[in-house]
Amino acid sequence: MNAVIDFARFYVCEASELANNHIRQIKPPGHDPVALYRVDDAFYATDDTCSHGQALLSEGEVDEDFVVECPWHGGTFDIRTGEALSFPCVLPVRSYPVQVEDGKVYINLRAGRAKE
Amino acid sequence: MPTVHLHNTDIRFEQGETHDTLLRAGLSQGIGLPYECNSGGCGSCKFELLDGEIEELWPDAPALTPRDIKKGRKLACQCRALGDITIRMPNDAQFVPLYRPRRQHATLVARRDVTADIIEFRFHTDAPAHFLPGQYAMLTLNGARAPRAYSMSNLGNDDGIWDFWIRRKPGGEVSEALFASLHPGDSLLLDGPYGLAHLQPASPRDVLCIAGGSGISPVLSIARGLLSDPTLAQRRLHFFFGARTPADICGLAELQSLPGFSERAGFHVAVSEPGASDSWHGATGFIHELVSHTLGDRLATLECYLAGPPPMVQATTRMLLLDHQVPQQQVHFDRFF
Repeated sequence: MNAVIDFARFYVCEASELANNHIRQIKPPGHDPVALYRVDDAFYATDDTCSHGQALLSEGEVDEDFVVECPWHGGTFDIRTGEALSFPCVLPVRSYPVQVEDGKVYINLRAGRAKE
Repeated sequence: MPTVHLHNTDIRFEQGETHDTLLRAGLSQGIGLPYECNSGGCGSCKFELLDGEIEELWPDAPALTPRDIKKGRKLACQCRALGDITIRMPNDAQFVPLYRPRRQHATLVARRDVTADIIEFRFHTDAPAHFLPGQYAMLTLNGARAPRAYSMSNLGNDDGIWDFWIRRKPGGEVSEALFASLHPGDSLLLDGPYGLAHLQPASPRDVLCIAGGSGISPVLSIARGLLSDPTLAQRRLHFFFGARTPADICGLAELQSLPGFSERAGFHVAVSEPGASDSWHGATGFIHELVSHTLGDRLATLECYLAGPPPMVQATTRMLLLDHQVPQQQVHFDRFF
């Protein structure tokens, strides 16, 4: 078994395993949990822990408008950029580039960016 | 008596005659239901009804977004059970009240003008006034449609004394009635204490208090709690007050009378509308600007408590978290609207 993890090309799942408007939590070893979203047949990824508290965005809900809502205080983020959209969320979460190749979803965990 | 069951838990509580909402029924029995404003404004107490019937006291409450309405979510602070119900709602130890709130009659014993539009109302209850510095109570006047949240300005005590600094809000149903018709000897219903933005005595950090307008009431309580507690004698206090005009400045006399104020505390004021006259020589502008300018990089080392109008709370929170990287858990406020 290959023990080396490629964080820049981290395999998550088959694209067909995640339906539109659904979220999956990923726990890469040694890395904060990440939420993978599918909306309008495109994939997006952000940090899973809400910037406001300890809640997990993957336990919240994402709609066609690319907005994920935290299940705890109802704060919202743009899943495309990680930008905080509504109070009490003020700080952004990091977003990660996602690639789909041959029906497989990969996240670049080395390229997490928080929108200024 | 309706029983409320929290789905996927073994938690059940009863909604009795004295409970006006689901949320307050649960909290009064020591259940850790999430909430902040208790007033339909913040959305922290959302739940889903899985079984049974409820009555919605305020179906158009501002905390319910179009998304919530689409998904059928309700506010526990604005609903009553009509019979036994099962709901899906988070619960957590952090919300379990240290002092269980209860609804009781309170008699006005005194009122005192603080500024042209803030009055101190002092109420008495037969039971001790147990609450934490910074907490609030729901006050219901005779004949009023709904209670309104007001923060205490004093400290908890065994004498049943509850002080509130209340600003007259033109057109405000409860505050207009309080100002116009409530006189010593009159009584109302007081339900409390509530609120999570209370003094954290376990924090090792110095304290920053920021008040805007009538937000002075809970912040004054926190300052009193800090300076009166011998175990916190090593903590310094930075107190900032944002007033609209110089005539709206208040609270300094009360702070100066606290033990150690001159050695341990600083009082800073900014006025947003100094007026045309040259009589104001202090800082002008918004209070969050003065805080940022005065404390700068030291902000991240402080335990921060804020209260005031929503635009002030939001601007101040952004300044603290975004501009100065104050950790979220050091910033305390209850979201009122």
